[in-house]
This record gives sequence, C-alpha cells and structure tokens, in this order.
Amino acid sequence: MSEWLEVASSEGIDPALRLPPALKELLEALVRAGYPEETCGLLLGRQAEGTVEVLDLKQARNLNRERARDRYELDPADFLAADQAARDRGHQIVGIWHSHPDHPARPSANDRARAWAGWSYLIVSVTPDGVRELRSWRLNDGDFIEEVLE
Amino acid sequence: MNATVMIRIPTPLRPLAGGADELRVQGATVGEALQALDDALLERILTPEGEVRRFVNLYLGPDNVATLEGLATPIREGDVLSIVPAVAGGNAAQAKDRWLAQLRAEIPAVDPREALELQRAGAVLIDVREPDEIAAGTPEGALPLGRSYLEFRIEEAVPDKERALVVLCAVGLRSLFAAEGLRRLGYRDVRNLDGGFNRWKDEGIPFQVPRMLDANARERYARHLTMPEVGESGQLRLLDSKVLLIGAGGLGSPAGLYLAAAGVGTLGIVDHDVVDRSNLQRQILHTDARVGRPKVESAREAILSLNPSVKVVGHKTRLDSDNVEALLSAYDLVVDGSDNFPTRYLVNDACVKLGIPNVHGAVYRFEGQVTVFWPAYGKRRGPCYRCLYPEPPPPEMAPSCAEAGVLGVLPGVIGLLEAVEAVKILLDTGDPLVGRLLYYDALRASFIELKLKRDPACRYCADPARFPGYVDYEAFCAEAGA
Repeated sequence: MSEWLEVASSEGIDPALRLPPALKELLEALVRAGYPEETCGLLLGRQAEGTVEVLDLKQARNLNRERARDRYELDPADFLAADQAARDRGHQIVGIWHSHPDHPARPSANDRARAWAGWSYLIVSVTPDGVRELRSWRLNDGDFIEEVLE
Repeated sequence: MNATVMIRIPTPLRPLAGGADELRVQGATVGEALQALDDALLERILTPEGEVRRFVNLYLGPDNVATLEGLATPIREGDVLSIVPAVAGGNAAQAKDRWLAQLRAEIPAVDPREALELQRAGAVLIDVREPDEIAAGTPEGALPLGRSYLEFRIEEAVPDKERALVVLCAVGLRSLFAAEGLRRLGYRDVRNLDGGFNRWKDEGIPFQVPRMLDANARERYARHLTMPEVGESGQLRLLDSKVLLIGAGGLGSPAGLYLAAAGVGTLGIVDHDVVDRSNLQRQILHTDARVGRPKVESAREAILSLNPSVKVVGHKTRLDSDNVEALLSAYDLVVDGSDNFPTRYLVNDACVKLGIPNVHGAVYRFEGQVTVFWPAYGKRRGPCYRCLYPEPPPPEMAPSCAEAGVLGVLPGVIGLLEAVEAVKILLDTGDPLVGRLLYYDALRASFIELKLKRDPACRYCADPARFPGYVDYEAFCAEAGA
C-alpha cells in the first residue's frame, strides 16, 4: 500500500517544522486534556522549500473509540472543515498531529503504514506527568525522517 | 447533463496535479468528473476495478459519496468534490496492548486519594516497581514487594485473601499485570492505582524515601531476601547490628565467619592471644601462614576477605572489671566463646547489668552445650550464668581444651548453633534458647534439651537494679579451686 501513498518527495531537503510557541502550548494543553486517550488533529499553514510553517491547528474527533488509547482515525468531517478553514486564509493542511499516551514520540509501524508523503507528522508523547516530548516526522522513501522542530 | 465541479486536491496528491490545490473539471457524475483527471492522479483515487481506494474518501460538499450513490452520484453546477485522505495511525498493535485494555476493563482503578482512603480503612498498598525506583520514594506504609517475586511473597505478607489490595507502579501499567497475578492467587479485592506513583507524587500526597539495600548487598544477601523471616527489613537490621565475639577461638571462629557472611554489620572481637599452630585444628578463622600473629588481626583478615562490608573491631586485650562495661555497651549482643571461668563470670555479670543477650557455648571432647543467658528477655524469664553456677567448679572438674582435648569439629557445631541463636535474636524471630540448654553428644549423635530455672535469689539477676558490682574474677575462681 505504501507505494500509493508516496507521492511527494522531499529528496535533498533538510525538512523543518516551525511551530510558534503559542500553538505549541495549545497543542500540549489539548494532548494533556485528552490523556490517557490518543488525541489527533490537523496542522494548518504553509509549505515552502522544505520548511513547514504551522499557522493554526485543529483538533479532530478520533473515530476509533474502541482503541482510543492507542489508535486514531481522524474524522473526515473534521478534515473537510479544517481544509476549508485553511483555504479561506490561503493556507493548506500541512500535516497531522497525534499523541502517544505513555509512549515515546516516535512513529509506530502503524503510523508508517498509514502515513502520506508530503505531510508532517507531529507526535506528542504524553504521560500522567504531562507532555514528555514533541517530535515531527516526514515520510521519505517509505521511511520516516525526523524534521527539525523550530 | 454535464456540470462543472471543483475537485479539491489534498496536499499529498498535489505533486500529481501539477501542484494545483484544486482542479475545475466537467462531468455528469462523480465518476465522470474523476475521469477528467490525469491517470497518475486518478490511479491514486480509484483501483483498476474502478472502486474508490480504501484510504481515500470522496466528499461531495459535506457528504461522503459512499453514503450517496457512490461514483454514480450526480453532480450539479458549482459542486465541490473533496478528495479526503484517510488519516490514521497510533501505536503498534501488540498483544500486550490488547491485554492491557482488557485488564483496564476488569480491574477497578482508584486515584491516589481513593487509594489513601482505602489504606486508612485497612487496604494494603503493594508497590511492584523495581528496587531502584522504590528507593526514590514509595507511599507511606506500602509494601515494597516488587514484581518479580510478587506471587511468591504476597501470601506471607498478606495472608488474608479478603483484604483489599491497591497495586501501584510508576504510571499504572505494570501494576495491571501484577494485579491480574494477585487476582489469580485468590485475592478478591484488587485495585489498580491509576497514574501510579507519579500521580501520587504530583497530587502532593506524602510519601517516604525508604532505606534500601544497594545492588551489591541485594546480590550478596539474595537468599535472605527471599525469606519472609528476613527480607529486606531483616537484612537491614542485621547490617545495623553489632555483635561482640568473646574470643576468636574454636567457638568464635565459626560464629564469626557465619555472622559476617550473614551480614551482621559490626563484629567486635576480644582476644589477647596470638595464633598457635595447635589452634588450627578447629579455629578456622586462622591460617597456617598467620601463626604467631595476634588472633584479632588474623580474624579481621579472614572476615574481610569473606565479606568486605563488615566492620571488624579488634580488641586485643584481656577483659577485666575495668574495661568490660565500656567494651560491651557498644554492642547489641555477645557471643561468648571464652575458654575460662573468670571471663564467663565477668561477661555474664556485665551482660546482666547492661541487659545484653549473652549467647553462651561450651565444648568438651565430644560434647557441647549452648544456651542464651538473657534475664532481660521480654517473653520469658530465663536464668543467668550465676543462677546455674553460683560459684565456679574446682579446676579438676572443668579442664580446658588444652588439658582435656576437643574434637576439632565439635566447636564448629556449637559455634554455629550460637551464631543461629544470635541471628534469631537480632531478627527478633523464632524462640531463643532462653531458659533452655541444648546439649549435644556427638558420640551418640543426639541432642537433649534441658530446662534451666532462674534462681529467684540470684545476687546478680534477681534485681538488676541492685547490681552487687564486679569482683576480682581471677581470685574468685582461684578460691573455688582452693
């Protein structure tokens, strides 16, 4: 399946994700509030020359209620709404964020299997103590490479 | 009838649409409109059989076309058709995740406040984290049983299966597996501390930083730690204990070696003598190479090579009325392995006055005896040495080893029985030989237990508050022989 998902190529670019402090705080608050369940949403912004600039973020419903602690399946209705909001401001959906409750912020095999090239995948590791780390990843030749988080 | 529709392209597919974020095409149905797309883009959306791929959704306005008429859904002028990539992920699906989810559903969760309430109402908190984690802090009163031996230890620690248990780890996951194990053992009310000790700390609930054995001690005393009668607290107690060996000879040698091996923290040794080759037949603290050296030095070398963590205090001196109290009062217990009557009376009198248990042993050829003189013992009133022997026997009735000889192995047996009694008393476990004397006849290979009665009129132990004072013990014993 992965060959169909790999469309964009970030070859030769050192990717970076720019997340303003206010959005980082908002994201951490959303993730903490959702613990112990996995929370997910969309990153809105601009892409230019390997740098992704996040200008807004939206939380989405997790349709996977049965496995909400370790799975997410983003509600397409929320995708549509976020897509519209982005277009209204001349932005686009630049990536997906989701939390890993009690797990490190590294993409799982499942994350990799379901990922789309061309998007940033921002993962937030969260425990009862709060947010442990944020790391961002991008698909490149079927493997995730880490983006510099700015 | 054809209509113009705007197809919205998601970011991941835009490279296949020439970078465009939307494309204006014509068609009567959704399917027809899609056919207007480039093949490279189209094949990402439809399978070769013409079905919508399962990781893509098509939305006409706000509606998923799958809920309308699928690809045959008619379009009207100005409609917006969105290609919505399925966005999913999450942690790797593992059996343990499914198991944890099941355990979460089965085992009631309590928050730290509820756990504290339950503990006050009689529930037991069980900390199943690793020793190094527990060492950094654990709820007050929690049993630090750990995970690996939990099932082996819990029934000794909490015999009542009806008693409520609250299991905790760092975040509340390992404790779920532990809780499952406890339920299988028959504990009816087992709960899981949600969020674990981290949450306990975060909520500001008091905890203690327990004193723990280090990794080295944990390894050395591993066989003690698995015994409920010793365990970590018992081992710490032994490490804190101070035992004085009177004599590093036939009895003191085995007792000293085993007490050191068992982890008695401080071993004092009183002996003024030097190692003689004739000692080596039984005095296993010493070696041929150390003949001629002071016994306290030789003993220290032997003990430290067995267990370097023991503090060995050598007293190369002869005990007398002037130094006995200063010397004995620094110890919790005395193991008497002396070979002469003046010392036995002196040690007895000082132990009675100071309230220290005096583990006593004596050997003669194939016979030996061991008892504990400890009038201050709280659970049973036994005699002191003077209750049994108000005055020393004449020398011909009590020959020394040098005169009578002794089977080399015999003091090994008696010295080790003394060591066992010492450890029992230090751990406050079992029934000590207070008011009882164990007599061993090696030729018959039999043990006999004799009951010892105290003398209510004993000048020394009847009323420890009225201690008659130390005497000249050499003269006292010499008189008896006269």
